[in-house]
Amino acid sequence: MAFMKRIRHLWVLVLLFSFGPNLGTCVAASAVNDLVVFAAASTTNALGEIGTLYEARGMGHVTFSFASSSTLAKQIESGAPADVFLSADVPWMTYLEDKKKVAPENRQELLGNRIVLVVPADSPVKAVEIEPGFSLSNVLGKEGRLSMGDPEHVPAGKYGRKALEQMGVWDQVKDRLAPMKDVRAALVMVERGEAPLGLVYATDAAISQKVRVVGIFPSDSHSPIVYPVAAVSGGKMEAAKPFLTFLKGSEARAIFLKYGFDVR
Amino acid sequence: MISVQVEKNQSGFMIQAEFQAPAKGVTALFGPSGAGKTSIINMVAGLLRPDSGHIQVNGRCLFDSRQGIDLPPERRGVGYVFQDGRLFPHLSVKSNLTYGMRGTPKEQRYVTFDQVVDLLGIGHLLDRRPARLSGGEKQRVAIGRALLANPSLLLMDEPLASLDGPRKAEVLPFIGRLAEAFAVPILYVSHAREEIESLAGTVLNVAAGGIVAADSGVAARSGPRAPVDAALPKAY
Amino acid sequence: MGVWHLTAVELEALKLSLWVSAWAVAVSLPAGVLTAWVLARGRFAGKHFLDGLVHLPLVLPPVVIGYLLLVLMGRNGVIGALLYEYLGIVVAFNWKGAALAAAVMAFPLMVRAVRLALESVDQGLEAAARTLGAGPWRVFFTITLPLIVPGIITGAILAFARSLGEFGATITFVSNIAGQTQTLPLALYTLTQVPDGEAAALRLCVLSVLIAMAALIFSEQVSRRFTRRLRGEQ
Repeated sequence: MAFMKRIRHLWVLVLLFSFGPNLGTCVAASAVNDLVVFAAASTTNALGEIGTLYEARGMGHVTFSFASSSTLAKQIESGAPADVFLSADVPWMTYLEDKKKVAPENRQELLGNRIVLVVPADSPVKAVEIEPGFSLSNVLGKEGRLSMGDPEHVPAGKYGRKALEQMGVWDQVKDRLAPMKDVRAALVMVERGEAPLGLVYATDAAISQKVRVVGIFPSDSHSPIVYPVAAVSGGKMEAAKPFLTFLKGSEARAIFLKYGFDVR
Repeated sequence: MISVQVEKNQSGFMIQAEFQAPAKGVTALFGPSGAGKTSIINMVAGLLRPDSGHIQVNGRCLFDSRQGIDLPPERRGVGYVFQDGRLFPHLSVKSNLTYGMRGTPKEQRYVTFDQVVDLLGIGHLLDRRPARLSGGEKQRVAIGRALLANPSLLLMDEPLASLDGPRKAEVLPFIGRLAEAFAVPILYVSHAREEIESLAGTVLNVAAGGIVAADSGVAARSGPRAPVDAALPKAY
Repeated sequence: MGVWHLTAVELEALKLSLWVSAWAVAVSLPAGVLTAWVLARGRFAGKHFLDGLVHLPLVLPPVVIGYLLLVLMGRNGVIGALLYEYLGIVVAFNWKGAALAAAVMAFPLMVRAVRLALESVDQGLEAAARTLGAGPWRVFFTITLPLIVPGIITGAILAFARSLGEFGATITFVSNIAGQTQTLPLALYTLTQVPDGEAAALRLCVLSVLIAMAALIFSEQVSRRFTRRLRGEQ
C-alpha cells in the first residue's frame, strides 16, 4: 500500500517536471499577442535575434519555424498554424496569395540578398571571376559537386540556377549538383568540405567561419532577390500587424543589416 | 577401458564421480532423476566442462584438468544417443545417418552403413524426414547415426524414456544386439530397472552426484579418491 | 489512364529505389546474421551496449543518422577519408551512399528477425552435431543456418521494405541527385515541394504502397514454405 502511494507521488513529480517549466510559457503562449512565424531558412539568425528583442520589449512571444520557403508555403497551404510568412522569393508568396492563404493587404517587401560562391575555409581556391562562360567545372575538379538549394523548389537554388544560366554555365554543372533541401543544408556541405564549392546567400556565407566567399554574382544575373513578408489568412492577423511593423522598424533593420541583408 | 574422475559444482549441486568401465559391453549408470547421471555423461562427451578431473577412453586422454587437456566434443570420438533423439529436422534419415561419417577413412570403420541399417531395420525409412517417423523409429535412427560416426565409446541417455511400452520393447533388443555385434563400449544411463537388467553387464549406481554402492564387484567411490579396481562382468 | 503513367523521372526513381534497396539488403545480410549470432549466443561484457548500438537507427531521428553518416563516411569523414585515400572508394553523393544509409536504417530490423530465429533453434541439435564430429563452423553452416533460413528471409524482406521507404538519412547524407540518390521517397518529397506536384506525388505514393505490400506478402509465402520444408511436412 505504501508502495502504491510512492508510485503516485512519483507520477506527480514526473508530470510536474514535464509541464512545470512550461506552465509559465503555457500561460504566455495562449496570450493574444504571441505569434507563430514561418520564415526562410536564410533568415534564421537575424530573425531569431529580432524575435528575442520583440519579446524583451514585452510585445509578445514569437515561435519560429525555419525551412526552405517551398516547404513552408506547402505547409501553410495545407493549413499549418502560422501567423506570418517570410518568403525568400516572390513566386512562393504569390503562390500562397493565389490560393488565398495570405492577406495581400499586409504584404510588404522586406529584404534583399545576394548570391555568392563559397568554398571551404581551407580550400586552395582564392577567387573565382564570375563572368559569362566562366569555367565553373574547373573549380569543381574531377569529382566535386556544387552544393546548392534544390533548384526545383528552394528559392536560393532557383536564383542560383537563373544566375548560372545567365552566365551560360548551367549546362556545365547541371549534372554535377548536390541539391539540398534548403540553403543552410547546402552551406553545411561546404563547411564540412564534402562539396568543394557551394552556391548560397551572401548572408549565409557571412555567418559561417568555415567557408570563404570567392565570388559574388552580379545582381542582374538573376531576378531581384526579394523577401516578401505577409500575414497568413486565418492566423492571428491582428497580432501580426505590430510584428510586421516591428520588422520594418529601425531596430530590426539594424539587425538585418548586421547580418548582411539588403533592407528595402 | 573407460576411466572417469570428475568434479563439478553445478550451482550448489556437487558432482563427484569416479569410476571405471570395461572396454566392451554395456555399463549402466543407474539412479533416480536428478542424481546427476546426465551431467556425468555430458562431461564425458565434452558438452559440459568439469571443474577438475580426468577422462580417459581406451588409453586416450579426453580431459585432464592438471595437464590442461580439454578436447572439444567433435574430437573425442564419443557418440551420444540423446533421450529426445535430436534428429536434424531439415535432413532426410539417410543424411542424418551419414552426418558423422565424414571424419572416418574407410579402413578405420568398424561398421558400415549397410550393416547399421540392417541391424536397426531402418532401410525403408531412408528417404523420410524425421517429422514422419514414429518415436521408436526416431530412436533407432538416432542410434544408427551415433554408431556411424565410428565412436570409440557410445553414450546413451535414457534412450527409451520417451517411448511407450510397445516401442520400448521394439527398440530394446536393438541395443542389446548392438552391444553384441560391435566392439564399442556403451555407457547407458537409465532409471528403469528392467532396462538395466536386460542390458547391462556392469551397473554403477548414481546418487546425489556421486557413484555409490558398488554393485557386483564394481568399485566406485564418491568423496576422497581411492584406487579403483577393474569392474568384473555381472554374472547372468 | 494517363494519370497512372510514370514519367521518366519517376521511372528512374523507381529503378534506383529497387537497386539501392537490393544492395542495402545484400550488404547488411552477412553483418546482420553475424551480429544476431553474437547477441543471441555471446556472453561478454558490453553485450547490452552492442544491443543498444544496433537499435540506435530505430530510435534516433533518421536525420541524425544521416548526419552521423556524413561525419563518418563523407569524403572528409573519419572513415570516408581513409576509404578514399587507400581504396579510392567514395560513397558521398552517389547510390552507394544511399544504399549505405538504407542499410544502416534497416539493420536493426534484420538483426531482430534473425536473432529471434536463432534463439528458437534447439541448441541440443547443435550439441548433437558436435558429438558426431562436426566442428563449430560445420555445425553453423549445416545445422544452424538452414534452421534459421525463414528468419533470415523475414529479416531480409523487412530490411528491403524499410530501405525502399528510407528518406531522412538519405537526403541528409547524400542529398537529392536524380539518377544517383533520388529514390522513390525523395522523388515523392520533391514533388510535394513543387507547385502542383500533388498528382504525381499521389501516383508515387500508390506505387510505394503496392511495392511494400508485394514484398510483405512474398516474404510471408517464402517463409511459410521454408518452415514447412524444415519440419519435413512437404
